[in-house]
Amino acid sequence: MLTVECVISPENLDPRGLLLQRSIIIRLLEEFANRKVTKDHGYFLSVTTLEKIGEGKIRPESGDVLFPVRHNCLTFKPFKGEVLKAVVDRIVKHEVFLICGPVGNVFLSVKTMPDYQYVRGENPTFMNNESSKIEKGGVVRFVVLGTKWVETEKEFQVLASLAGDFLGPVS
Amino acid sequence: MSGVEEEENAAELKIGDEFLKAKCLMNCEVALILDRKYEQLQQMSDDPMNQVSQVFEKSLQYVKRFSRYKNPDAVRQVREILSRYQLAEFELCVLGNLCPETVEEAIAMVPSIKSRGRAHDDDAIEKMLSDLSLIKKFE
Repeated sequence: MLTVECVISPENLDPRGLLLQRSIIIRLLEEFANRKVTKDHGYFLSVTTLEKIGEGKIRPESGDVLFPVRHNCLTFKPFKGEVLKAVVDRIVKHEVFLICGPVGNVFLSVKTMPDYQYVRGENPTFMNNESSKIEKGGVVRFVVLGTKWVETEKEFQVLASLAGDFLGPVS
Repeated sequence: MSGVEEEENAAELKIGDEFLKAKCLMNCEVALILDRKYEQLQQMSDDPMNQVSQVFEKSLQYVKRFSRYKNPDAVRQVREILSRYQLAEFELCVLGNLCPETVEEAIAMVPSIKSRGRAHDDDAIEKMLSDLSLIKKFE
C-alpha cells in the first residue's frame, strides 16, 4: 500500500466568527473528509500536520473569505506493478472480487489465476492442484495489473493478477 | 500529471514525481498514526465512528490487519534497518509490508531493487531480510 504524506494547498471557505483559526481548521477537516479521493493523489486518509494558513482573500459577491491552507496528509494510491494484499469479498465462476482497504473494487479474473479451478457450492472457492484455496474472507497476495480511475463513481478500479512467483492466498 | 498514467509502473519505480518525492509509510506506521487520530477523536466526542469518513475507517481496518509489527519500537527499528540500504521510499515500504523471507521472494515483490544500476547484491538483500526477521522474533 503506497501511503504517502503529501503537501496540499486547497482553498478553504468562509470561516465567520471570532475564533478564526479554529474555524479554519474545522472547515479544513470537513472539506478533507468530503474530498475522499482524487485521481492524482488517491484516497485521502487523514490530515497529519498543518503547515501554514495564508492570507485571506475576500470574495466580493458573497462576502466569503478564502484562505489557502497548506497541510500534510496521508493518501493511498494503488499503482500498476505493485504487490498488495487484499481480502476476498465475493467469488463467482470467472472472477474473484477483493477489497483492499479503501479500494472496494479489485477484480481478479480466472484468466490471471493460473492453475486455479472454480469449485462450486454454497460457498464457492477457487482451488489449485496443491490444494491452495481462495475463499471468502481469505487473504490473497496479488500484483496490480492495471488501475482505472472512474470519474463518475469517483473511485479507482484495480485489475489484479496471480501470475507471478509468491502470489496467491496467504495466511 | 496526466501523461504519466500510461507509463506508471511500480515494478520499475515509475510512480510519478510527486509520489517519488513524498514520504512513503508502511502499513504499521500508518496504523500507529490513524490509531492515534482515532484516540484523539474518542477523547473529543462520544461517537468517534460518526466523525470519521469511510475511507478512514476502511483504511484503519486494513492497515491494522496487515501490519506485521505492532510495537512502535519495532516499527521504528524496521524503518531504521531498511533505511541503511539504498532503497527508494516506495521499495522500503513494500518490503516492510510484505516481509519476504527469501531473497527470491524479495526480488519478486520489488523487482526494482535489482535494476537501475544499484544492483543490490544477493548478500546485501539476505542480510537485510535476516535483520528484519530478528525484529519479528523479539516483538
